[in-house]
Amino acid sequence: MTTSILVVDRVTKRFSGHTAVDALSITVPPGVIFGLLGPNGAGKTTTIRMIMNIIIPDEGRVRLFDSASSARELAHRIGFLPEERGLYPKMRVLDVLLFLAEMRGMDRRTSRPRALEWLERLGLSDWRLRKVSELSKGMQQKVQFASALLHDPDLVVLDEPFSGLDPVNADVMRQTVLDLRRRGKTILFSTQIMEHAEKLCDHICIIARGKKLVDDSLNHVKESYSGRHLIVAFDGSQGGADAVFADRRLVAGLQDFGAYAEVELAHGADAQDVLKSLVGSGARLSRFELAAPSLHAIFVGLVGPDAAQAKGVVHA
Amino acid sequence: MRKILAVVRREFVERVRTKWFWIGTVLGPLFFGGMILFRLLNGEHSGVERKVAVVDQTTGGAGARLVEGLSASLERFHFVRVPASPRAVDSLTDVVVAKNLDGFLLVSDSTFDVGSVEYRGSNVSSLADMEELHSTLGRQVFAVRLERHGIDPVVVRGAELSVTMATHKIRGTKVTGESGEQAFTLSFAMAIILFLAIVLYGVNVMSSVLEEKTTRIVEVLVSSIRPFELMLGKVVGAGAVGIVQLAVWLLSVKVLAGQQDRIAAWLGVDHSGAQGPALVLPQVPAATMIVFVVYFLLGYFLYAAIFAAVGAISGSEQEARQAQTPVTLLLMVPYLSVFGILNDPNSVSARWFTFVPFWSPVAAPVRWSASPIPAAELTGSLLVLLVSVVLVTWVAARIYRVGILMTGKRPNMREIIRWVRAG
Repeated sequence: MTTSILVVDRVTKRFSGHTAVDALSITVPPGVIFGLLGPNGAGKTTTIRMIMNIIIPDEGRVRLFDSASSARELAHRIGFLPEERGLYPKMRVLDVLLFLAEMRGMDRRTSRPRALEWLERLGLSDWRLRKVSELSKGMQQKVQFASALLHDPDLVVLDEPFSGLDPVNADVMRQTVLDLRRRGKTILFSTQIMEHAEKLCDHICIIARGKKLVDDSLNHVKESYSGRHLIVAFDGSQGGADAVFADRRLVAGLQDFGAYAEVELAHGADAQDVLKSLVGSGARLSRFELAAPSLHAIFVGLVGPDAAQAKGVVHA
Repeated sequence: MRKILAVVRREFVERVRTKWFWIGTVLGPLFFGGMILFRLLNGEHSGVERKVAVVDQTTGGAGARLVEGLSASLERFHFVRVPASPRAVDSLTDVVVAKNLDGFLLVSDSTFDVGSVEYRGSNVSSLADMEELHSTLGRQVFAVRLERHGIDPVVVRGAELSVTMATHKIRGTKVTGESGEQAFTLSFAMAIILFLAIVLYGVNVMSSVLEEKTTRIVEVLVSSIRPFELMLGKVVGAGAVGIVQLAVWLLSVKVLAGQQDRIAAWLGVDHSGAQGPALVLPQVPAATMIVFVVYFLLGYFLYAAIFAAVGAISGSEQEARQAQTPVTLLLMVPYLSVFGILNDPNSVSARWFTFVPFWSPVAAPVRWSASPIPAAELTGSLLVLLVSVVLVTWVAARIYRVGILMTGKRPNMREIIRWVRAG
């Protein structure tokens, strides 16, 4: 039994002047769903490309399955769904699957029944002899999942697997990931949508500007931030709530979701003081509770300036 | 290795499945069949009759004597003597326009004094007609002049002899059955095929690289196969398509050429009077064939690698089309120099063309077909080409490796050089 499926050891990558990934280390144990989180430009895709041996790190190294072999040599054990997904538009669906399985080291005789089985499972059997370009976007995405998983890999690396998926396909994706873990596979995926990470991950690693900020099991992360977040909702008048939220002695951060707001307490502040101040300011509260923070709040609290930049995407 | 074969297979199968492959494959034989038809229906072999008037402005019956002589030696032409009149030229022109006459000769005394004659007609662009008319006129004028000087017409007639010169090529120490015309046709056909095949299949490699780059599928591929292996598989796969297509073309040419009599009969063209088939296929000596194939393969690999790199640095079809133009022009240089090389296959410039690796794939086989290249030169040329293939492929692979993952604007020369130098 291996102790870890993937070890990224102080890996650095620079692109003409700027450092995309800066001495990043992560360790992925077997059988977990590992989330690599970060805002746009944090270095997630670059990290994944280095893991997949698509680009070579300037410093540090990547170790897979406790062996000295590269991801390319271990291609048959690794499934990969890149961030920018594409298929050959003019090829037939089944042929694309067979070809990509060959690239992953399977012979066509073995891959053919499995490809047909996958197409059946995804409801695309009737489309197997159609050209990829005739498929809808959602169907193409399903074919892409199938191509990443056809060779039954032990490690599945998914770069932004939920981006661009409609809710139905996102659910298929989620079920697939959970099913993989149930079968003892290891999944590494990157995302900037914290809701997905929160529902799926056993372990998260948050990076920003190429550096690691948090690397722990999701439970530990949430525990270490609990008791410091409040959920506040108003019933009509907000009174002088804005002034209270702006008071740095009480409030360190604020996530206004419209219907309610998530408040991060300042260091050493007491929730009761916030409540008193709010009531005193004339605000009418419909909800005031001490809450376990959402991953979203933790994330925004950690990567503040970066997140502000990427806000549109985070809320998407 | 199995993965490279998978890439080769995909490249081959997908290319063969396109309608362009079939159009291209059928177009070759169609073009050649058209050439046979053209030769059957036009020109010297079909024995098309020509009606030609001779406007006689001579004094003393020389014109009549000339018409007589022409009619006797040119069966295909029907000559009618028209006495000179002020309106003759205009009215004959009208007859030619009305297509009742192919043309007319203007013969005067000066024809026999200084040898000038004028022909006006609708068939002046037919080289065969003009050649025949010209040479027969020469002989007849010559005969009339001799008779004017009192030589017995019987003697003159006996001395009239048209000479046919057969050309045979000497290759090495052997006299071959190859005629001069055939040797030229072969050389020229080889130049066309080499140029077209290298450019067409090279561009196929380029667009295939571009497809993988623009769809971003290349990331999945490169995580399972080395970029160099991927490039190699593409080059070999597209090349295999080329070889199949060339084989179909050559085979169909051979079959069609063998069926010329049947084609003629089917068209109802009386072909029996002609000497030999309408289109004679040149004999291709085995050595020429080998030289052709070796240079084709090396040339294809050289240019395919360059085209792969061009595809890798481009972000779209338009960009790629622009970037490939200089590469195509580079190969066009020897193609445009074919006439020069054939004129003097051992000139200094022909030697240069044999040694410059970007030119030799077209130039060397053409030169060889005209005159065997000395063994030392041939070895040198092949060696230079081989080393270039290795070097260019090495450089192209480095550009390819970085380029296929790049997005955004096309890199400039300095960036490309940096890619090549960065291990």
